[in-house]
Amino acid sequence: MATDKELSDFLKSVEKRAWKRAVYAVRDDDAALDIVQDTMIRLSEKYADRPAAELPLLFQRILSNATMDWFRRQKVKNQVVRNFSEYETAGEDDFDILETLEALGGPLQSESAADSVSRAQILQTIEAEVALLPARQREAFLLRYWEELDVAETAASMGCSEGSVKTHCSRAVHALAKALKAKGITT
Amino acid sequence: MNHDDRSYRAAAREAMEARFARSVAACLTASAEQMSPDVAERLRFGREKALAAARRSRGEVRGVAVTSSGAAIAGVGGPSWWVRFASVMPLLALVAGLVLIQNWQSRTQISVAAEIDEALLGDDLPISAYRDPGFSEFLKAPPSE
Repeated sequence: MATDKELSDFLKSVEKRAWKRAVYAVRDDDAALDIVQDTMIRLSEKYADRPAAELPLLFQRILSNATMDWFRRQKVKNQVVRNFSEYETAGEDDFDILETLEALGGPLQSESAADSVSRAQILQTIEAEVALLPARQREAFLLRYWEELDVAETAASMGCSEGSVKTHCSRAVHALAKALKAKGITT
Repeated sequence: MNHDDRSYRAAAREAMEARFARSVAACLTASAEQMSPDVAERLRFGREKALAAARRSRGEVRGVAVTSSGAAIAGVGGPSWWVRFASVMPLLALVAGLVLIQNWQSRTQISVAAEIDEALLGDDLPISAYRDPGFSEFLKAPPSE
């Protein structure tokens, strides 16, 4: 059973990323805060007796469900469906990611700048492009690379196959690389 | 040879994708660290509420565990049967109470009516009753049964 301290430390470690993920999904800061709070309370009420090691996966699952609940409440199901259909058609071009990725080499940075203003702009641009990804691609990408879940855990959290996770992630990476290159964010 | 080359290219592509993805994730982490104090405060508030909920939840679990073990010691069956019985008990007590009250009221009404009848039948008939035309007709009329 997770102790109060373990639960508190865990929530502290995930809350910022969870809020950002919710913001990318619902594009509303206040709604995202409500979703994260709801997720934390649901986790604590129902799974406080689980070992601390099980909390990350449970939390991600509840966060995804809470986000979907928000969409249902907002009656914007059509918007979600539209995002899914965007995913169906995305990533079918012959864009060569290797070319862009090899150029990136190290941490992302702008062509001209190393000052803080330009760094903030880069971060904003990257966030905006992540937010523009189709919902499933974004979720897979963030769970796999930001929350650092492995493929099996990501698949369990999203309720899909491991193959689908790999496809979503690959398409998300291609889309991001292409969009960031178009914005001049390369070495 | 061709197969090896394809496998190598696929692995290289996968490694490149992962490296790029981790660079983007690092940027997202940096961005998430720059959130406003208002948002951080609301997240802290949410965390506190969640911890309070966890404490409540654990307390309820312990309460149920104590009840179950008490029932087991008393030898009255499994915990679910005991909890169900305990929850139905107040309803049963209410129904039994209502039946008793209804029975007592009915008995009281019968005894009051019997006392009145007894007093009427045991008393002398007043003289004025024989001069009442209605009463005379009643005496002449044949009994209904």
